[in-house]
Amino acid sequence: MSIETMAMAKAINAGLHAALANDDRVLLMGEDIGTLGGVFRVTEGLKAEFGENRVLDTPLAESGIVGTAIGLAMRGYRPVCEIQFDGFIFPGFDQITTQLAKLTARHEGALSLPVVIRVPYGGHIGAVEHHQESPEAYFAHTAGLRVVSPATPHDGYWMIQEAIASNDPVLFFEPKSRYWQKGEVDLAAAGAPLHASRVVREGTDATLVGHGAMVSVLLTAADIAAEEGTSLEVVDLRSLSPIDYGPILSSVQKTGRLVVAQEAPGNVSVGSEIAATIAERAFYSLQAPVLRVSGFDTPFPPAKLEAAYLPDADRVLEAVDRALTY
Amino acid sequence: MAQSEFPLPDVGEGLTEAEIVSWKVKPGDTVAVNQVLVEIETAKSLVELPSPFAGTVTELLFEEGATVEVGAPIIRVDSAGGTIELQAPHDADTVGEVADPSREVAQEETSGAVLVGYGSSGGHARTRRRRPGAVATTVAVEGTTAEGAKESARRRPTTTGMPVIAKPPIRKLAKDLGVDIATVTGTGLGGEIGRDDVIRHAQQATVFRNLETPAWPEEREERIPVKGVRKAIATAMVQSAFTAPHVSVFTDVNATRTMEFVRRLKGSAQFAGIRVSPLLVMAKAVIWAVRRNPTVNSTWTDKEIVVHHYVNLGIAAATPRGLIVPNIKDAQNMNLRELAQALEQLTITARDGKTTPAEMANGTITITNLGSFGMDTGTPILNPGEVGIVALGAIKQKPWVVDGEVRPAYVTTVSAAFDHRVVDGDVASRFTADLAAVIEEPALLLD
Amino acid sequence: MSYTEATIQLLSPEGKLVQSDATAPYLEKVAGLSDDRLRDFHRQMVVTRRFDIEAGNLQRQGQLALWIPSLGQEGAQVGSGYAARAQDHIFPAYREHLVGRIRGLGPMKIIELLRGLSHGGWDPAQTGNFHLYTLVIGSHALHSTGYAMGMTFDGATGTGDPEKDAAVLTYFGDGATSQGDVSEAMVFAASYQAPIVFFLQNNHWAISVPVERQSRTPLYLRGTGFGIPSVQIDGNDALASYAVTSTLLDDARAGKGPGFVEALTYRMGAHTTSDDPTKYRESDDLKFWADRDPIARFEAFLRARGEGEAFFAEVAAEAEDLAADVRARTLALGSPTADSMFAHVYSDPHPLMEEQAAWLAAYEASFEEGAE
Repeated sequence: MSIETMAMAKAINAGLHAALANDDRVLLMGEDIGTLGGVFRVTEGLKAEFGENRVLDTPLAESGIVGTAIGLAMRGYRPVCEIQFDGFIFPGFDQITTQLAKLTARHEGALSLPVVIRVPYGGHIGAVEHHQESPEAYFAHTAGLRVVSPATPHDGYWMIQEAIASNDPVLFFEPKSRYWQKGEVDLAAAGAPLHASRVVREGTDATLVGHGAMVSVLLTAADIAAEEGTSLEVVDLRSLSPIDYGPILSSVQKTGRLVVAQEAPGNVSVGSEIAATIAERAFYSLQAPVLRVSGFDTPFPPAKLEAAYLPDADRVLEAVDRALTY
Repeated sequence: MAQSEFPLPDVGEGLTEAEIVSWKVKPGDTVAVNQVLVEIETAKSLVELPSPFAGTVTELLFEEGATVEVGAPIIRVDSAGGTIELQAPHDADTVGEVADPSREVAQEETSGAVLVGYGSSGGHARTRRRRPGAVATTVAVEGTTAEGAKESARRRPTTTGMPVIAKPPIRKLAKDLGVDIATVTGTGLGGEIGRDDVIRHAQQATVFRNLETPAWPEEREERIPVKGVRKAIATAMVQSAFTAPHVSVFTDVNATRTMEFVRRLKGSAQFAGIRVSPLLVMAKAVIWAVRRNPTVNSTWTDKEIVVHHYVNLGIAAATPRGLIVPNIKDAQNMNLRELAQALEQLTITARDGKTTPAEMANGTITITNLGSFGMDTGTPILNPGEVGIVALGAIKQKPWVVDGEVRPAYVTTVSAAFDHRVVDGDVASRFTADLAAVIEEPALLLD
Repeated sequence: MSYTEATIQLLSPEGKLVQSDATAPYLEKVAGLSDDRLRDFHRQMVVTRRFDIEAGNLQRQGQLALWIPSLGQEGAQVGSGYAARAQDHIFPAYREHLVGRIRGLGPMKIIELLRGLSHGGWDPAQTGNFHLYTLVIGSHALHSTGYAMGMTFDGATGTGDPEKDAAVLTYFGDGATSQGDVSEAMVFAASYQAPIVFFLQNNHWAISVPVERQSRTPLYLRGTGFGIPSVQIDGNDALASYAVTSTLLDDARAGKGPGFVEALTYRMGAHTTSDDPTKYRESDDLKFWADRDPIARFEAFLRARGEGEAFFAEVAAEAEDLAADVRARTLALGSPTADSMFAHVYSDPHPLMEEQAAWLAAYEASFEEGAE
C-alpha cells in the first residue's frame, strides 16, 4: 500500500530522509536541526541516523549558514539549509541574492549550486514578531533562484526531494501553520513536477489561485460558495518562480474571472505578477479585472490581530463577489 | 600619414566631462605609448592620461582650461595606431565617430516639460528603424478555442461556448448602451468586436428605443409637410393596406442552431470580412420556402395572378428619411456567400441614402428584420405588388422545453403576412412552417 | 605603522635575512626554497607589477571601465601564493592578480572582467583552483570556509599525507574584517576546525577609510579571539609571507584546524582607477612604504646571493613583452552576444530564460540591418 496518511512535518521529514539515504552528497544544516530535530521537529531523528557530518547543528548565523552552504555546494555537496523562521532569513539575504543567485552565471556555467533553503513561513500560529512573515516575493524577484511552496503533505514529501535533486538554488517555503495537518501521501508517485501548478478543485464561475497555507483557505471559500450556488475553481500554484501559467490560463479561459490570494502584503507581490501576466495573456477571456486578496501593506501585526490581517475565506469571497459584479 | 585621435575617456565610472588642466606635449613632439600627454581634472580627481599611440603630435584639439565632454577627441597624433574606439561603457553614442572639434561643448538642456533634475539630454530620434510589419500584433486571442463551456446554473451562461472577443472598454460600452455583446457581430481581426460594431448594433436597436425624455415643446402643435419619401411611403401603405386583405401567421422557433451556424460562418475563412447574420439564413430560407410554396412569390392583378419563378428579394431598410425596400435581383441564383455580400451591399447603400429607384422596383417578396429593432414580432404591411412579407423577430434567450426540461435557448418569432386574395391559411402556414424549419435546422438548406 | 612586537619579518627592507628565536622556525621553511623558486618569486612580482601599470594605462586610455591596482602588495601575494599546494583551493577577493597568475589564471581574464565583458567567468578547475573574484566585500570568506568543511567531510584532508591533504587559502583586506560575514566565517571555521587559512592583506585603507576606523586592536588578534592561531607578518616580506602561510596551511591540512595571517602592507596605488588618494592621504606615508617596497628588497636579497644582471634584464624584458601582449590583446577583444545573458543563469532549463531569449532575438531581428 503506497498511500500513507501523515502530517506535513512528518512528510517533509520522510522526504529528507529519502534524500539523505539516496545520495551521500546531501547534507542538512541549520540551527537546532540536529540533536533537537528542529524547532518544528521537521528534521527529527535524522542526525541520529545519518550522523553529525550529514546533519549539522550550525552556529547562530544565517549568513554563515547560507555562505558555507555555498562553499559546500562548490565542493560537490547538495546542502539543505534550514532558516529557523521566515523573519530571520534577512541576515542571509545578501548571500542568497548576491552570491547564491549569481554564482552560476558568474562562472558562466562552470559550476552549479544545488542548495536548498527551507523556510517555515506564514502566519496563523499566534507567534511573536518575525515568526509569521511571507517574504517569498523578494526571492521570486531574484533571477537565478527558484521558489516553491507545498500545500499538502503529499507535496511536502515529494517537492522537497525534487528541490534537492534540482541543480539550481531552491527556496522551499513550508507553510508552518500546516505542519500538523494530516493528509494522504502517495509514496509511489509524485504526481506533478516540481514547478507545475495544478487545479485542485474544478469550477466554472471564477478561478482562485494561491499557494501554501492559502490553498486550504481557498478550498474552504469554494465550499461556502458552492452552498450559495457559485462554482469556484481552485489552482494550487506550487511554484512561485518559475510560475506555471498553463493551468491558470486554461482555467481563466473557462471561467473568465481570477482572484489571486496570498498572506504576503499585496504591494509588489507574487500575486501582482500573476495579475499582470494574466491580464496580458488572457485579455480577451477576462470578464472582470484580476483581483488580489493579500495581507495589508503593514508589518505583520501582533498575533492578536493576525485574524484581521490574514486573508480568510470571507475576504476571498468578498473578492469573488466583486469579480462577479462585472 | 595616418591621423589617430584620442577621445576623452571616462576615467571614473560615470563621469561625463573633464577639464584640460595642462598639456605635457605640444605639436611636433614625438610620443611613446603610455607617455603622459595631459593632466585633466574630473569631478572626482586630477588624472594623467597616457598616450595610446606612438607617433608625432599633430594637433592639440582643446586648450588648457577647456571643459571637454567624454568621447570628444582631445589630441591628434600622426601614427599607425588607428583611431581609438572607446570601450568605456557610457560611450555608446560616440564609438567610432570622429567628432568635429569645433563643436560646441556645452550642450543645452532640451528637456521639455519635465521636472527639474529629470532632464533628458535632448530629443533623439529612434536610432534604429523597424522592418516593415515588424510590430507583432499579438492578437493571439487566447480563449478562442472553445474549451467546452459548462453551463453555470446562475451566472453568465455561454450557450455556444465560444467567447466574445471584446476589450473591456467595449464591453462597458455595450453594457451602457443596453446591448447584449454576445449578439453583436464583430468586424475586427478574428471577429473582435469594436466600438463601431457596438454602436451600429445599438443604433439599430435604438431606432425604436428612446434614450431621453425631452421636455414638452412650447408650441401646442408642430406641422410637418407631407412630401418626398414620407408621401411615397404613405401612398404605398394605403395602397397595400386597403387593397390587399392582410392575414398574418406567427410561429416561435428554437433558433439556437441558426446562431451556431452564423457563428461558425463568421469564423470561417470563406466568410472573412463578410457580414454574416441570422438575416442571411432567413433570406436563404425564404428562397427555399418559395420553391415549396410558389404562390407566395407572386403578384395579383385583377385578371390574373402572376407567379414569379425568380426571387427579387426585398429587404425592408430603415433609413434616416424613412422606410425603403430595395431588392436583390434573382436572389435564387446566388450562393450563400454572394447572397451575404449582396445583403451587405444593399444595407450600406440604403444607409448612405444611395438606393436607386431601379433597385426598389420589381421586388417579388420581402423580409422585414424587426429583430434588429429589438422587437419580438410585428404585423408588417405588404410591399405593393407582392403578396407575402416575412418578419424576422429578435433572437433572444428564452426558456424552451427540450426533452421535458426547461432550458434556455435562442428563440425567435417568425411571422409572415399575406394577401388573402392569393394565399389562404394553409399555404400561409406551410410557408411559415418551412421558414421556421430552416431557422431551427439550417442544414435543411443543403437540399 | 601597525608593526608590533609580534610582527614576523624574515627579510629586512634592505634585503637581509633577520635571525631571531621568532624567525628561526620560519627560516627553516625558507631554506627549503630552491634558487629557481626564489627567482620565480622575483619574476612574478616584477611581471605582475608591470602588468598592473599597463592595465592602469589602458583604463586611462578608455579601454577598461576600471582597473584595480595591486601595487605594493606583490610581496604578500607571491609568498602566500607559492605556499599553497596544487590540491589547495584559493578564494581571492579582487586584488590578487599575482596569486591568480601563479595558479594559472592568465591576465586577460581579469582584463575582460574589468572591461565589462564578463563577471569573471573562469572555471577554477582550469585555473589551479583559483576561484572567481568576489566584489561583495568579505562574502567569499564564508564560501571558502564551507569549501574547507567539505574537504573535511570528503576525507580529503587530515590523513597525514601533506602531498594529498588539501586546505583552503582565502584572501581579504582590512575593510573586510568589519563585515559580519568574515566574523561568521571565522566562527564556522573554528567551530568545525575547518582546514582553512585566512590571509588578511592589511593594506591600511578601505578606499579612503584608514584601518584605524576598522579596528582598535591589531587585526591578527581577531583570529585569536575566535580561537584561531594567528600570526602577523611584514606583508612586504615575500619570504615571511611564504613561510608563515605554508606553516599554517600545513597545520590546516594536517587536521589542526584553521589559521590566520595578517600581512602588514600598503596599497601604494588607488583603491581603483575611480579613486583619488590625494584627497585623503599624505605623501609621507607613501614615502615610508616606498622605502619598504617588496620588490626592491627582494632584488637586493637576490643580488646579495649572487644573482647577476642578466637575470634582472631578462625579467624586465619579460615584463615589457607581457605588457605589450596584454595591450595588443585588449585592443582586439570582441564583445559577448546578447543571448549570453540568458545562457547560464540556471543550471537546469528554465521557461523564462527560453522565452526572454527568444523575445530578444525576435526583437533584434525586427530592425533593418545596418541601422544603428
